[in-house]
Amino acid sequence: MIKVLQPGLQTTVQDIGRIGHYEVGMPPSGAMDKYAFTTSNLLVGNDENSAVLEITYMGPKLQFEEDAVIAITGGEIPPKINDEPVAMWETLEIKGGDVLSFDFVKGGARVYLAVRGGIDVPVIMESRSTYTLCGIGGLDGRQLQEGDTLAIGNEAKVDVQIGQAIDASLIPTYGKSHEIRVIMGLCSYRLTEESKQKFFDLEWQVTPEANRVGYRFKGERLNFVEREQPFGAGSNPSNVVDLGYPIGSIQVPDGVEPIALLNDAVTGGGYVTIATIISTDLDKMAQIKSGEKVKFISLTIEEALEARKEVKEKLDQIRKQLT
Amino acid sequence: MSSQNVVSPIPGVFYRKPAPDQDVYVNEGDAVKTGDVIGLVEVMKNFYEVKAEVDGVLKEFLVEDQTMLEAGQDIAVIE
Amino acid sequence: MIRYEYGGDEFIFVELSEEMSLEANFKAMAITNKLKEENLNSIIDICPGNASFMIRFVPEEIHPNEVIEKLKKLEAEVSWEDMTINSRIVDVPIFFEDPWTHEVLMRFRDRHQDPESTDLEYAARINGYDSKEDLIKAMTDSPYLVSMIGFVPGLPWCYQMVPQEKQIEVPKYVRPRTFTPERAFGFGGAFAVIYPVEGAGGYQLFGTAAAPIYEKEQRNKDFKDDMTFPRQGDIFRYRSVTLDEYNAIRKEVEEGTFEYLTKDFSYKPQDVLKDPKAFSEDVIRRLYA
Repeated sequence: MIKVLQPGLQTTVQDIGRIGHYEVGMPPSGAMDKYAFTTSNLLVGNDENSAVLEITYMGPKLQFEEDAVIAITGGEIPPKINDEPVAMWETLEIKGGDVLSFDFVKGGARVYLAVRGGIDVPVIMESRSTYTLCGIGGLDGRQLQEGDTLAIGNEAKVDVQIGQAIDASLIPTYGKSHEIRVIMGLCSYRLTEESKQKFFDLEWQVTPEANRVGYRFKGERLNFVEREQPFGAGSNPSNVVDLGYPIGSIQVPDGVEPIALLNDAVTGGGYVTIATIISTDLDKMAQIKSGEKVKFISLTIEEALEARKEVKEKLDQIRKQLT
Repeated sequence: MSSQNVVSPIPGVFYRKPAPDQDVYVNEGDAVKTGDVIGLVEVMKNFYEVKAEVDGVLKEFLVEDQTMLEAGQDIAVIE
Repeated sequence: MIRYEYGGDEFIFVELSEEMSLEANFKAMAITNKLKEENLNSIIDICPGNASFMIRFVPEEIHPNEVIEKLKKLEAEVSWEDMTINSRIVDVPIFFEDPWTHEVLMRFRDRHQDPESTDLEYAARINGYDSKEDLIKAMTDSPYLVSMIGFVPGLPWCYQMVPQEKQIEVPKYVRPRTFTPERAFGFGGAFAVIYPVEGAGGYQLFGTAAAPIYEKEQRNKDFKDDMTFPRQGDIFRYRSVTLDEYNAIRKEVEEGTFEYLTKDFSYKPQDVLKDPKAFSEDVIRRLYA
């Protein structure tokens, strides 16, 4: 068991996500930074989809009540065991009675804590991921609270060596201004040519409304091509006949403050969507904090598939290195 | 006299008042004790209480009410 | 013009029409049903929309352009007019002008087109009805097609099965509310919805559904297999109920003994489109037979 002495700002149980239920309006939830998530499980020899803790901005304080093998990956929120700094991206040993805590965030926004065996919470619709909006998955469908206890599962698959570490070349670095790659499309035909250009030229600032549901950006107003609104859409020029929103899609309600929809987002609605963040850069989104700057870069589908391949190859390198 | 900076551990919007229609937690020049709340930082609809970590006098705020903070930014000085 | 669009590297979004119509919805249903029948491992999600649809796939197993080719072929081949839709007719009790949504809509008056009236009064006026009672009658006289599910788990977008000139259409709030009560019955664009859980929302608020459409505890019979009740292609009849009937249904729901009045029903799109009025009357007759 693991005892939650302090919960941190927003700590939830997540696995790969609740996939394949989008048509009933169930978003996938799941770890936001899949690269860091997968690596954390590999480091402790788990099934790659085992449930871990996703820690946001501020770490929790956890007391382990049994010996365990853990790994911490993702943004830089420096971990400590019994107040002694320990490494991230490395297989660590923790003894029963030891306390894991974290320093202030230095880079990135989210950290993944994998425990050998996985975090054991009930499986809801094939996933242990927490979806707080509907109160399902994870621990009672909510973020961790002081006094909670977490059970450790038995999803360990392969033996691991304490002290094994990920090669520095495979560890991402996190700055304060970011380039996020997207594919323009969906209903981008609604934007004027000038506004399409503006979307890519501007540096957008992430507002405090940035969480697992979505990130809202501040910049300038985007304008729509004038038209008589089609039947059923609603009267605002940013309204469309309600449609599905891909994960990572960017919508522009009323032309102001674009919102990137993420893991816990609504699956559809009546706002115009103009672009979609490529799957690999959703990992990068997860590590962006409120107040930081984002520039969107337009990619072709072939470039996006190439980027996807590069990340897969990196994960393959990690798998090889660890087994 | 030694002074210590109060730091925000998280990014977000800084508030000096518990609610818009209430008074500020502390004024510049007020005495504060360890554990006293001096402001709130709001992010992702969570409010994090920023507390004094030493006893002393809150000499000055380094940020305005309702401004956006970065993680690790100095909020105030306690002497 | 049909638009085939990439939604990043994992989604294809297909907009069949910019405008809502029963034809567009039936067509999306036909194409997505055909794709479902193929049962492909490379396809993760098939999400029919109102006048569009969306596919999530595994790019390592199928190239996005191959997905588009496949969908174009299906679109050309499918004959949607005479497909059979196996669905259910459902009696959905609504308590109009209830105190709970009333409190909320008054609280967010500054975000509404018309701060001086209620959502129902406003909607009646702009749709040319003499009174809100007339609007409620129009909303409850003819049944609705569940044309899409989403936003949050189980939320049904419902499109009334009447000719376009008889469709009710309302704008969404000027700025979305930050709160909507659970089970609120709302209207936006040409769609009626029930909000499964509380949360943000921008639809006009007219009432509250007595029974849930999402139940995570899965206590009542309609939720034993799924937490969500509505299915695309269902036909919902919204029925106005009194506070007494509302309270009686709430009691059943809380005791776990509630069950929706439903009738299994198969129909073809052409049945609806040929004579919507006769189709609606037939549906309501069957439901209460």
